[in-house]
Amino acid sequence: MRCPDLRLALAAWLCAPALAIGAAEQVRTELAARFQKDLPALPASDYILGGAAFDPALRARLDENANAAQTSGVLEAGRKLFSRKFKNGRSLASCFPNGGKRVAGAYPQYDSRLKRVVTLETAINQCLKANAEPLYDLDDPATLGAVAAYLRSLSDGQKVAVRVPAAAEERFDQGRRLYDSRMGQQNWACASCHVQGAGKRYADIPLSPAIGQGAIATAIRDGKAVTLQARMRECLERMGVAPFAAGSDELNNLEYYLTYLSNGLVMRPNAWRPAR
Amino acid sequence: MARRLLHLAFAAGMILPVCAQDMPALDLYTRVDKGHCIACHQLPAGTGPATRSDLGPALTGARMRELGRARVRDVLRDPTAANPATVMPPYGRHRILEAREIERLSEFLLALP
Repeated sequence: MRCPDLRLALAAWLCAPALAIGAAEQVRTELAARFQKDLPALPASDYILGGAAFDPALRARLDENANAAQTSGVLEAGRKLFSRKFKNGRSLASCFPNGGKRVAGAYPQYDSRLKRVVTLETAINQCLKANAEPLYDLDDPATLGAVAAYLRSLSDGQKVAVRVPAAAEERFDQGRRLYDSRMGQQNWACASCHVQGAGKRYADIPLSPAIGQGAIATAIRDGKAVTLQARMRECLERMGVAPFAAGSDELNNLEYYLTYLSNGLVMRPNAWRPAR
Repeated sequence: MARRLLHLAFAAGMILPVCAQDMPALDLYTRVDKGHCIACHQLPAGTGPATRSDLGPALTGARMRELGRARVRDVLRDPTAANPATVMPPYGRHRILEAREIERLSEFLLALP
């Protein structure tokens, strides 16, 4: 009797990561199918255009500002900070494989040691901490925003490839539940606008679909690098919610979920977005 | 004369706060800190600012009158009671608008062409 049980347990253990990946992937494919049904005229590759996918005039402005990250000086500022030597002679570049090239598509990641989701911004600060350097303010577009924008630019054209191992399934699900939960004075969920209302106009601006938001991650607005979490916080304020802190588990899990939804899409980091 | 002016000032002081609460219905419709209905709905041409917003249906007087005064008021108070999936905020239940503001907004919607 014991042998079959052991075999069963071993099989369950071996299958667990695959099942977890399957669960997250099922959520993504179901949402993708919904968007294909609700927005049949829109190719999936255009989801990364955000609201501009539904507005030719806005799309033209997006094209006009295709180099906003460079012309604004954000990338150059980020490059300088990224290659700046620490007191110990190392730099941010030394913390990421391949000098930071083609790594951003795999973030956020689940850190099994910390049992937390680590975003690219958190990883930058972890590197500073490991090298006894002062941390960047997670809300500061001039430092952390610029470095994250530069690091993401090194993955331009790569595909989003976030992994959800078995141990991270709960984090992914927390992010999903938060995205779907109605909150605040307006009684909205993130999904109210970016799933239910995707492609419709709120305050005259077309609402971006949930799939694609993670493929942008950092956006350039008013010449500044605005992280995905900064934009989430703005949304939460609009919803009448006291926003979670940047780098909190809540927003990290939300970013994890949202970025996973963009898996397979070509990253177009640092895209221009209109001023608010 | 001075005494009359004093009475006038006193009366104005009593009245002004009441006037301040009586915000025009169109302001209740457009202001971000009030209904901000304009963010989601379009009004018939000439009755308010033109917008392309369509998260909610376009509003017409005919549709409002079809619903009736009580129903319009109830929807403004808590639209989720009739439609749990709606994205419309529960203006009364979440105290975004006061009862008298909901009343005035209802009148405005019912009077639309």
